[in-house]
Amino acid sequence: MIRAPLSTTSVLDESAAAVRATVSPWAALLLATSIPYRFMQIVFADRLIELGSNASQYGDLLRTTADITCATFLLSLLGRAIYARACRLASEPGVAPGREALRVPLTAFASYVFVASIAEAFTYLFFVTGLGIAFGAILSGLAIGTMELNTEPGIRGPLQRLARFGGGSRIVASLALVFFCAFVVALLNVATLFSAIFALASTVGGWDAARWHVLLSFSNRRFVLTIIAGALLVIEPFWIAANVVLVRKAGAAQTGDDLRVWFEELQRS
Amino acid sequence: MRCAKTLCQECATQWDGIWYCAGCLASRRKSPAAKSHLGGWIAVIAASLGLLFLGTRFMVWTGVLLAGLR
Repeated sequence: MIRAPLSTTSVLDESAAAVRATVSPWAALLLATSIPYRFMQIVFADRLIELGSNASQYGDLLRTTADITCATFLLSLLGRAIYARACRLASEPGVAPGREALRVPLTAFASYVFVASIAEAFTYLFFVTGLGIAFGAILSGLAIGTMELNTEPGIRGPLQRLARFGGGSRIVASLALVFFCAFVVALLNVATLFSAIFALASTVGGWDAARWHVLLSFSNRRFVLTIIAGALLVIEPFWIAANVVLVRKAGAAQTGDDLRVWFEELQRS
Repeated sequence: MRCAKTLCQECATQWDGIWYCAGCLASRRKSPAAKSHLGGWIAVIAASLGLLFLGTRFMVWTGVLLAGLR
């Protein structure tokens, strides 16, 4: 898969190829494990909006919802780990990601849970500033990209790898910017899809269009939250694949592997 | 490369998708007998549990703060 020098466009090109190669069943597995987490985030946000300024009086309810969200977060991490491994296997020449993708090394997964927990805590702590979401997303992406490089349990190794691949990299920042734009586009597409389905369904006889119009309108906060979660689910496989490809290509650039592949391609052509 | 050394292609060996130098490969081969990772496991599990606990608390605190601003 290492076909072009390390750049944002080459990472995006090759991540699209990785997603194409892993769409069934690994992207489906990723979605299946991510949906409970996104659903619980919707429930949490919905309860907060409903409680409003009285939210501080419902600490137990919010804490219980946050704890369940945390449990679903762990499930989503497992799905992401399997998907990242499938993307890495798909990037190797002549290898189709079969059941081997399920064999995520325990050390790599434990290190990933550790770094992803840092990203999650950072996101929520600095959520109000807006920077928390951006840095949390970048950290979470690098965590999944470097996951399989962690071969020994510990807390220093994963952080060193994050610093090595993320420190001062313009490509990491530009990828985050590209995926922010992709999120907006996905948001519009998911909203349009819901509207189109509603418009088509309203032509069917016996359809209670008035009732569904209330549910599927932008004045319904649950519908808006669902669209945001849907957009995040749509871009998630591409985000994971891009980070896996980025780390792999950056590693290949350090070892000279990219030059070897380029030379072999030159000899063949 | 795991140890971040700069090596030529001939001196590096790929194992399970990761490049190793001869030294790293040798240490990896004998590591199960020579080295226990118990400390590392305890550290990574304890740190993960602590961070997950903090993450849920930050989620609630930030949520309440934002809800209070409305």
